[in-house]
This record gives sequence, C-alpha cells and structure tokens, in this order.
Amino acid sequence: MTTYEEFIQQNEDRDGVRFTWNVWPSSRIEATRLVVPLGTLYQPIKERLDLPSIQYDPVLCTRPVCRAILNPLCQVDYRAKLWVCNFCFQRNPFPPQYAAISEQHQPAELIPMFSTIEYTITRAQCLPPIFLLVVDTCMDEEELGALKDSLQMSLSLLPPNALIGLITFGKMVQVHELGCEGCSKSYVFRGTKDLQPKQVQDMLGIGRPVPGQNPNQQRGPGGQPLPPANRFLQPVHKCDMSLTDLLGELQRDPWPVAPGKRPLRSTGVALAVATGLLEASYANTGARIMLFVGGPCSQGPGQVVTDDLRQPIRSHHDIHKDNAKHMKKATKHYDSLASRAAVNGHIVDIYSCALDQTGLLEMRQCCNSTGGHMVMGDSFNSSLFKQTFQRVFTKDPKGDLKMAFNATLEVKTSREIKVSGAIGPCVSHGVKGPSVGEQEVGLGGTCQWKFCSLTPSTTTALFFEVVNQHAAPIPQGGRGCIQFITQYQHSSGQRRIRVTTVARNWADASTSLHHVSAGFDQEAAAVLMSRMAVFRAESDDGPDVLRWVDRMLIRLCQKFGEYAKDDPNSFRLAENFSLYPQFMYHLRRSQFLQVFNNSPDETSFYRHMLMREDLTNSLIMVQPILYSYGFGGPPEPVLLDTSSIQPDRILLMDTFFQILIFHGETIAQWRKLKYQELPEYENFRQLLAAPVDDAAEILAGRFPAPRYIDTEQGGSQARFLLSKVNPSQTHNNMYAYGAGMPMPSGESGAPVLTDDVSLQVFMEHLKKLAVSSTA
Amino acid sequence: MFIWDWLTGVLGYLGMPLSVCRGRFAILGLPNSGRHSLLKATSEEHLIDPVAYLETSEELSIGNMRFTTFDLGGHSQARRVWKDYFPAVDAIVFLVDASDRSRLSESRAELDALLTDEQLSACPVLVLGNKIDKPGAASEDELRNYFNLYGQTTGKGKVARSDIPGRPLELFMCSVLKRQGYGEGFRWLAQYID
Repeated sequence: MTTYEEFIQQNEDRDGVRFTWNVWPSSRIEATRLVVPLGTLYQPIKERLDLPSIQYDPVLCTRPVCRAILNPLCQVDYRAKLWVCNFCFQRNPFPPQYAAISEQHQPAELIPMFSTIEYTITRAQCLPPIFLLVVDTCMDEEELGALKDSLQMSLSLLPPNALIGLITFGKMVQVHELGCEGCSKSYVFRGTKDLQPKQVQDMLGIGRPVPGQNPNQQRGPGGQPLPPANRFLQPVHKCDMSLTDLLGELQRDPWPVAPGKRPLRSTGVALAVATGLLEASYANTGARIMLFVGGPCSQGPGQVVTDDLRQPIRSHHDIHKDNAKHMKKATKHYDSLASRAAVNGHIVDIYSCALDQTGLLEMRQCCNSTGGHMVMGDSFNSSLFKQTFQRVFTKDPKGDLKMAFNATLEVKTSREIKVSGAIGPCVSHGVKGPSVGEQEVGLGGTCQWKFCSLTPSTTTALFFEVVNQHAAPIPQGGRGCIQFITQYQHSSGQRRIRVTTVARNWADASTSLHHVSAGFDQEAAAVLMSRMAVFRAESDDGPDVLRWVDRMLIRLCQKFGEYAKDDPNSFRLAENFSLYPQFMYHLRRSQFLQVFNNSPDETSFYRHMLMREDLTNSLIMVQPILYSYGFGGPPEPVLLDTSSIQPDRILLMDTFFQILIFHGETIAQWRKLKYQELPEYENFRQLLAAPVDDAAEILAGRFPAPRYIDTEQGGSQARFLLSKVNPSQTHNNMYAYGAGMPMPSGESGAPVLTDDVSLQVFMEHLKKLAVSSTA
Repeated sequence: MFIWDWLTGVLGYLGMPLSVCRGRFAILGLPNSGRHSLLKATSEEHLIDPVAYLETSEELSIGNMRFTTFDLGGHSQARRVWKDYFPAVDAIVFLVDASDRSRLSESRAELDALLTDEQLSACPVLVLGNKIDKPGAASEDELRNYFNLYGQTTGKGKVARSDIPGRPLELFMCSVLKRQGYGEGFRWLAQYID
C-alpha cells in the first residue's frame, strides 16, 4: 500500500500535478470549510522523455459542449466499439481507424500509465519560431560591448530556420532591414510619439495586403507569396553573417547627454514598434520579443522617470505616498502592449542590467502576461546575465529548444466540480463553458488560458470549486475527473497537444473529515496560498494581505488541529499539516510580501518568479534551504534558524535567487590564515571545497542564474543569511537575559539584530488564537 | 522595540529640533563600511536586514528628523552610479570602516573624489568613522590626519552656513552596532538642510 506521500510524488512525476487536497469533499459547503481551496499546481509541458510519440489526432467526445479527449478513465465497450466520456457520459463510437482495437490491443491513450499523453498534429503547418531583438544603446562602451558579444553568440544557438529581427533604440528607435546586401538600411521612429498599431504598419509598409492590390509583393520560389515583413525578419541561416556584422557595428546612442541628465531612452516606443511589427506580420504565431535595457525609459510613452537626475526613480515609499508621478501612465502603456502581444501569442522577455532600477515595475505585465522571462542583473558583463541568457536557449536531447510557443490550456471537469481560475504566467481567453465556476480566483470566468510561452518548468496554479449540493450525495466510490488540454507550438514548429486526465475520490467531509485531511498536501497548499497572497499583494495594501494570510492560517489550524478549547498546550497538528505554519511564517517575512528596503523593480522581479516556478523551486523561494558542513560528518540540512550559525561550521543557503556560502567565525579565521594551503590540513581544504562544489551544481541548473555570495561571520554580505534565518536569538531577548551586547560566538549560535518575531513566538501566538473559543 | 523607542526618545530629548527636518541624503561608503547597518539602525518601521541589490531609497528618521536616503552600492562598479545621484541629494553621508586599516587608502581615494567633484562643491558632507567599538580601530585624530581633514572641516557646533566659506564638512566617530555617535553627526548635518 502506498502512502499519500508516495502517491503525491508519483502523480507529480507522471502528470505534473500537485493538488492541495487529494480526496475531495463532496459538497460545496464542506469544500469552503476546508479553508485552503481545492486547487492544483500544473506543469503543462513537464519534461517527459518516456512519452511515446503519437502522430495522430486525439479522439474527441462527440457532444458539442463537451469535446473532452479520450483517456484511460473512459469506459470502453470493445465489442460495440464504443466509449463513454467520463465527463459528460456521452456514448461515442470509435472512429473507423480504431476498428481493430480489443482488450489486448489498446491504443496508447487508453493505457492507464498514459494518463498524460502527447499528440503531434502532422497535418498542421510547421512554423519556425521568431526572435525579435530590441536593444538599448544608451550604455557605456563596456556594457554595450558585452551585450553585443552575447547577442552574436546567441545567433549560433538558434535553429537555422528561425526568423530573426533587430530593433535598436536610444533617443530614436531604429528598425533594421536585414534583407539588403552590402548596405545597411533602417527605419527610424521618434521616441516621443505614441504610435497607433496602424501607423507602425504603414510606416514600415507591412500592413496586411489587400488581395490583388499589391502587385509588387515579393514572391518566393514556387510563386508562394513571402510573408510581408521579411525585410525585417529573416531566417537565421540567411542573415547570420550580415546580422553579426550589424551587431558588431552597433554604436552607443550618439545623442549627447548633458551633465546632471540621464540619457534619453525610448523603451516605450521601441516596445510598441516591436509589438506592432509582429502583430502585423505574424499574428497568432509563436514569436519572442527580447528586450535588453540598461536603464529606465526617460521619454515618450512608457516613461518612468524624467531625464533630470535631480529626480530619482520612484521607491516603494513614493508609491505608498502616491508620489510616483509617471507610474500609472507608464504602467498603462506597457499593460496595453502586454495584452496586444498576448492576444497574438507573442512573448516579451526583458533583460534588465543596471545598477539602478529600469522600470520593471511598470513593464512587469509584459513578462507576466506573455510568459516571457524577466531577468534582473547589475551588468551585461556579469556572469549572471551571460549564463542566464545562454540558458534561455537550452536544448533537449533531440536538439530542440526547450521552449514552447503560443499555447492554450483548457480545463474540463466532471459536473460536480468547476474551475474558478488560474494564477500563472498567462492571460484569460474568456471562454465560457460548462466547466466554468461562479467564483473567481486569479484569472477566472474562463476555462481556457493563453500561455504565449511555456518551458518545461512553467507551472500554473488552478483553482476549483465543488458545486455539488450537500443534499445530493455522490454515490460511494465515485470519482471526480479533471482534464488538462494544452495545445502548443513546439520549438521544432510542430503543433502538439498534451493531455493530462486525473481523477480523485470523493469523501463526505461532514462525516469522514479524516479521509479528506489525510489527503492534504501541505507543500502544494503553501505554494498555492503564496500565489494567492502575491496575487492579492499586486492590488491590495501590504498589511491587508498579511492579515489575510494570518486569518487563513488560524482558520486552518482551528479546523484541522487537535486541541482542547482554550488550552494552547494541547494543540497538535497531524504530520501532513505540521510544516504548513512554518511555510506561512517564512512567507510573511519574505520579500514577496515585505517591501521595505527592496526597490519596486526587485519586488516585481521576485513576484514574477514565484508566479511561474514549479513546486520545489517555489518552496525554496518561500523558505530557503540551509545545509551545514562540518568536520563531524557529511553535510546535513539544518533548521533555518540562528542556532544553526556555529563558529566551526560552513553553511550553504539556497534562496533560489541567491546561493550563499557562510563561513563560521573559526572557519573564517583559519581560512584567513590560509590553513587550507598546508598539506597537513588537507581535510580543511576539502571542507572548504565541499559547499563550493555543491553550490556550483545548483548554479548550473538554475534559471535565472542566481547570485553567488561568499561571506563569513561578521561580513557585510552575511546580512543576506541573517535576514532569512528564524531569529530565535536576537539582540532583544539577549538583552532580556541580561547578557549585554550580543556575542557573535559561543555554542548558542549567533543572535540577529532584528525586531521580527521568531518562529517560536509566532507558533505560540498561533496556538493561542487557534484554540481560543472567542476568536 | 522598547530599546529603540527609548533611544529615539533620548535623541529627541537631547535638544533635537522639534520642527520636522526633511532632507535627502546619499549614504556612501565601501562595502562593509556599515551602510546597511546604519540604515537598519535608523529605520523607523522595522528592524530587519536590508537585502536589496539595486540602489534603494528609504524614508528614515532619527529623533525628529525625517529623511530620504539613497543607499548606493559600495563595490567598485556601483561607485560609478554615485554621481548620478548627486543632483538629487541635499547632503552626503560618507561611511568609513575605522577598524579596517587595509582599506583606508581606498576610502580616502573615494572621499577625495567626492570632495573634488564639481557637482558637490556646495553640498554638506558628513564623514562617519564607524566601528569604533572594535579593538584597534583608528582614532578620530588618526582619521583626520589620514584623510587630510585638518583645516577642511568646518566645526562640530552650531556654525552658521554664512560663516562657512565652502561646504560644511565634518568628521564624527560612531559605532552603528552600539548605536552611538551617528545621532550627533546627523544633528550636525540637519542644521545645513533647509
């Protein structure tokens, strides 16, 4: 018999799903009383190298409002060659090509192990992916040089048939023509003018041609009309030489910058032109706009700051005081570009490298709605940017880029359950259907969402509501089903459909709550609640969100804890709930909900990552992992607590965004004395090397490349560790015990200078509130 | 929170101007000079560890003074953006780690560059010699000597702006960790902020 833990793991490996509840409450009222909503994390194109290659179309249910896809949960009558849809119970005949099936001879989609299966639609047209580079030239020589190197390198990583284009911008925006030999031509736009899509098309001469009216249209071999924008978008194999030269010759923006001024940078117009170009030429085709910025947009639409250095870019404080003058207008500009790009299936990536903010806050929807990458670094010359950029073009064993384009995720449900929304890097398709619920969580009111970009790790949260009434019990042994259908453009150009069908048992939560609670997945719940909290934080005020997180946690503890009323000491949580309060504690302290001393751009970046990563990575973001290395034995995971900071230990902390190695006081002294270079201290050298090797392994597999920090007790950078550990010992309680100044050494770990409450205090408080009969 | 309340209370009591003083400071210094600790020690909302990478700006207060600070990175690359912030600030706070003699010369070079920058010719500069709680930290005299501040500083008391020929400049020793000394520095600075 498998435990729930194994069951959950198997399901994640096979189907890419993690449900908060793995036994579903059978009535609406009971479902709402579970506090944590019924929901799942789903990875639409999770890497599955063992999937069979299926080259035919899926078989659909014939009922027009259903159209679910044949799956292993359907009942099949092999003699009559009929199958019963498990969503609408329609009896469907098999298509003629299935005439030969029998119990011994089943098609793959009926075999239980293929609850997730992928179809390749061979009759669909193969489309090469499109990459449009949009490059800021207001940088110093070193930065621009490094960026040019990275861009030239990237040409060799693209599939040869991919189309590529180049837009550069500074005070002006230039769209470069790639088709011409010998000379370089470009179309120049003013960076201050808000251009309508039609104007962009007209100026570039790429408007949709009216048939018969355009005799000059270029014709390819065989008389086929070439796509209209091919002056600006060329196959890589045809233009990589000329484009390499063009990139090599790129100059810094020539407009002079007066002292006390910022360069005039037209990011807003550049992005509008890029969106307009693709919209007019390749609507509804997978394409990727890659925007590289080295500073904030300082003029025209999308401006986030003026060019006067006396006015610094907005801070959280300015926003809070409603003092961020350009923010609303700029956000509106970028939001509208984001929705236009998303409708057309186009991705917007932003690679921002600067020491100051560049306006990621205002531009964030461009990445969040289209699934594009948001990368934040100090410099284009940093290994962080270079490695990250290279990893965008990671390939699978078959040599195809690990990216998918222009995807649609559709959810179908049994009649007792409806979908209430999604939180992930997507936009709503606004498609009503029988599966759509009344409630809305995140992007709701639809059963289809558009994901312009998918990578194997892309994970969306989906929320469901049980609609069955309490008075209409579901028969014993009944199961609820959900089908996820993802249609996407594979990077090879093929059209593919991935189908995952899952089922879970119903249980009457009013009589057998223990069945329901046994199927609770606290990790999935922590990540789903984090996404809901961050989704709220994007519109609500910080304290309100924290209060909501607290309230939900207290209610969960009241419902599922075991306790005697008004006796905090009697409070117990079952094993599969026991870590959940800790996750919430760390979520409250995290940079996702606390904005003090983070810039708005950083907050946007952190939240962007939490909204798309898979369960494991999301958990690391919420509650970082800490490993301890000592002479005593192999490295071990230790509590994220001040007590883990010991003088004779090295710590490795992974926060997803940073990899930090922290040397305890004694270790740091020995390292300064260079003991590791003496042959008799070989074991010390090995101890120093062990966390570095492990860090390198984490660094190698992560996107975006994390920051790497090497620090020691008392070091300035140690603050990154101290801000994350649970402050079980602080200057406050040290004073309270009459210990005077905190001593940074000794057996008891290192106290942290903070006013945050410790996990212990938090738990005490939680217990008190949970058992209280008045609360 | 109680200790901090007490501290601000004392600062307010020790003759801080009651009218609220507002200013915009850039807090500069090499890495490890204590910029983040200073921010942390003066942040009114909450004592937490500052963990930002980009330049951050925060609203802080000491006693009855409120100011916006720009905490600018200390590593050599980040120092290039310092000058971008000069037009935006009313004063500069420059932190020196008095206990790390190996980096004093680097600090001196940065301070010299600041003092000779044309954009800052009228901008008040407060130099804080931090970490005097550490054994072996340089003394005030030693720092004055090393940074060539003799004859340049304009006096710690109340000196009217009109009596100062160039810019107000003064050195104060402090321990951010023990929360000593910087309050006086900021109070000195406050008199030059309009």
